[in-house]
Amino acid sequence: MIELRGIWFKYDKKWVLRDVNIAFKRGIIVMITGPNGSGKTTLMKVAGLIYRPTRGEVLYNGVNVWSLPKQKRLEARRHVVYVHETPILLRGTVRDNLTYGLKIRGYNEDRIEEEVESIVESLRLRSLLDKKAGELSAGQSQLVAIARALIVKPQILLLDEPFAHLDREKRSIVSTLLREYARERGMGIVLATHDEYLAEQLADNVVNIEEIQGGQNIG
Amino acid sequence: MSFIEALSIAARSVYIAGTATLLAFTWSFPLAYTMSLGRRARLLATVLESLVGFPTVLVGLLVYMLFSRSGPLGFLGLLYTPYAVIIGEALLVTPLMTGILYRVLETTARRYWEVAVSLGASEGQALATALREAFPAVIATVVMGFSRAIGELGVALLVGGNIKGYTRTLTTAIALEVSKGEFEDALALGAILLVIVVSLSVAARLLLREERP
Ligand SMILES: Nc1ncnc2c1ncn2[C@@H]1O[C@H](COP(=O)(O)OP(=O)(O)OP(=O)(O)O)[C@@H](O)[C@H]1O
Ligand SMILES: [Mg+2]
Repeated sequence: MIELRGIWFKYDKKWVLRDVNIAFKRGIIVMITGPNGSGKTTLMKVAGLIYRPTRGEVLYNGVNVWSLPKQKRLEARRHVVYVHETPILLRGTVRDNLTYGLKIRGYNEDRIEEEVESIVESLRLRSLLDKKAGELSAGQSQLVAIARALIVKPQILLLDEPFAHLDREKRSIVSTLLREYARERGMGIVLATHDEYLAEQLADNVVNIEEIQGGQNIG
Repeated sequence: MSFIEALSIAARSVYIAGTATLLAFTWSFPLAYTMSLGRRARLLATVLESLVGFPTVLVGLLVYMLFSRSGPLGFLGLLYTPYAVIIGEALLVTPLMTGILYRVLETTARRYWEVAVSLGASEGQALATALREAFPAVIATVVMGFSRAIGELGVALLVGGNIKGYTRTLTTAIALEVSKGEFEDALALGAILLVIVVSLSVAARLLLREERP
């Protein structure tokens, strides 16, 4: 579980998060809403343990992540994965991208092959496997980015606008899979999306970011 | 001018400009990296970018004053040696290389660093991934620096002195041939210079396309 306590965050001067309090639990799908520029992406990157908040605590299973030594923090980070709003794929093939998270975790070849097989099956990526990442369409890239995150089986998965480029069939495949991961594996899933219909079907909770901002507009 | 002579001038040019570029890289890259870690580096980046167009002849003059007999580094005896040209050209391309490398690290490298971290990379792994992704852009920057170094005249002429068989480069040789009225030789040397610069940039482009289709 990831818990944000009294989080303040600013880029150069402007406070984007002002005393935000929220928790993301395992097995639950939460949707974050809010207008453009309201701080959804920033919130997710803080919850994803990528950005260190200016003030406040980020707890992973009750432990303040940013006060941990590097090695311990890395262990926590490996259970929390954030997927960018615009898919950013690494150079190389789709397969290279899918295996990246497994390789840096030191998995062996057989295990990697097994995991690739399974995610390729679930998301119907087989025909893309040996394509160059740069040759994919926007939707295909997004699908690969989602697959690359799911394959490491995080406890908390944060997806920023995951459906933006996906066609209807892919949306339904992905949302079915997400629901399955949440129900059966207890994956906690956080979605930022403007697709309200889909989110309503998928989400257990809907949170408007403007309602979890505690402080007034300061700075 | 004999063909052999032209070739040896070309080789010397490549050696001087190449060494200058690598030298500039050894400090430009760490400088750009340090800047990309700091939050207040944008001002410095702007200053560097405004120095990109610094007139080569002024760099030549400054380095000349530095290395001339009565200058602060005159005791080194480097004036009118290839080493003075190398140092001068390295200084010349530093703003260009540092400026671009900073942008590369700020944009490409930072993006991929973030992706790596989001997927559970350690800091070392994330850095390696970011640098790997930024590699084509880094190569392109080096090529740009080299092109500027090999094509400049001000530094090579003022601090190299166009000494035959020692500091004579393609650009200083062209200047000399023109002053003698030997336009054919000047054009031939110019063609060699052009071929070097263009083929290198084409090679770099091919490399980049190979890397990121
Ligand atoms: N790298 C950055 N540097 C400076 N300001 C930024 C940066 N990223 C975001 N901001 C600012 O922070 C605010 C929140 O941005 P954020 O990306 O979190 O919004 P968002 O809710 O995800 O918007 P969208 O719905 O468009 O994705 C915006 O006002 C934006 O201008
Ligand atoms: Mg956003």
